[in-house]
Amino acid sequence: MDAVVKKIIIEVKKGDQQAFSELVEIYKDKVYQVAYRMLGNAHEAQDVAQEAFLRAYTNLETYDINRKFSTWLFRIATNLAIDRIRKKKPDFHLEDQVAGTEDLNYYSQIATDEALPEDQVVKFEMQEWVQNEIMMLPPKYRSAIILKYMEDLSLKEISEILNLPVATVKTRIHRGREALRKRLRDS
Amino acid sequence: MACENEYSHLIHKYLDEEMTLLEKKKLENHLLHCADCSGHLRELRKTVAIVQSASHMEAPKDFTANVMKQLPKETRTNQWKTWTRRHPYLITAAVFFLVFIMSVSSIWTGGQKEIIVQGDGHFVVDEERGVVIIPEGEVISGDITVRNGDIEIAGEVNGSITVINGELIYSDLTNGENYLASTGHVAGEINEINQVFGWLWFHIKSFFSDVINVFN
Repeated sequence: MDAVVKKIIIEVKKGDQQAFSELVEIYKDKVYQVAYRMLGNAHEAQDVAQEAFLRAYTNLETYDINRKFSTWLFRIATNLAIDRIRKKKPDFHLEDQVAGTEDLNYYSQIATDEALPEDQVVKFEMQEWVQNEIMMLPPKYRSAIILKYMEDLSLKEISEILNLPVATVKTRIHRGREALRKRLRDS
Repeated sequence: MACENEYSHLIHKYLDEEMTLLEKKKLENHLLHCADCSGHLRELRKTVAIVQSASHMEAPKDFTANVMKQLPKETRTNQWKTWTRRHPYLITAAVFFLVFIMSVSSIWTGGQKEIIVQGDGHFVVDEERGVVIIPEGEVISGDITVRNGDIEIAGEVNGSITVINGELIYSDLTNGENYLASTGHVAGEINEINQVFGWLWFHIKSFFSDVINVFN
């Protein structure tokens, strides 16, 4: 697999643009999944995933052929997704109290959104639940959990993708896991 | 709950399978007696299982096409380079064909007006009538080729006759069913070529027989 990817990359570097489509075919689902899990909607996910591939293409010269391509590609994708989250991030926190109320925080506001028809169509409630819960996590825990449990990557790979020490990745996974557990118990 | 906080870190370590055997034994021993902690571990495992169960997603169908559409345009030279690299035989064949066509067309167009005769022996060229005459008693030792003119044979030709843009004519009408004059004699084949395609075909044939001769 790695040898095949290497061969394709060399072809692309030589100027064979068509060969790049083979790379897209190999990684599109994984990259799309990371983007979707991070952002929580198909439109933005497609946008970010496509952008990730375009960046990979234009910056291919900076890619070190001796390192794992998927790690490099995931790094581009997660960075783009995190940038996107930051841009649309509201400047309040979900745990904050809604102004003028006693014990109402933004979590309860979000809960009312679940009545949207778009969400009701979803057949697999558990799937939806997982995605909702992941979206509740702060982005730094979210990325760690997604890479660990949805992409099945090793801690070392995750640390390279997120550009963090392995110990920090561990902590984030622990905290993310803990937050999910609490929500699961409460739901 | 105090217990849970104390053990929380250990439980995560346990879940990540990053414990020494001794640590593991100690924790497992504790879990047997502590409902809070064993419940905590069970919930974490369940959480992980649910997250992992989230089915793998697929990118939209037109994903690859969309990406490829948005890539910066390849430069013309790059496209050409890529294409030629992918089709080396086609390029070879195309170049070969081009050279062939050029040489053939130069032969075809060259000297359109003049009568050109190739062959060894005595013959007479009648410019006014546009006829090459091999008089009686004369012998052409090899092949003869006449272009842009007719040929009239009263003598002998030991090889083949090729007439391009012309024809064999009768010098003796008593021998009506034959192209040759009654006294004429041709040992080889007679080819008359009056069309470009016929001309091409003739050249292709002779070219390949030349090639075969070279290799022989």
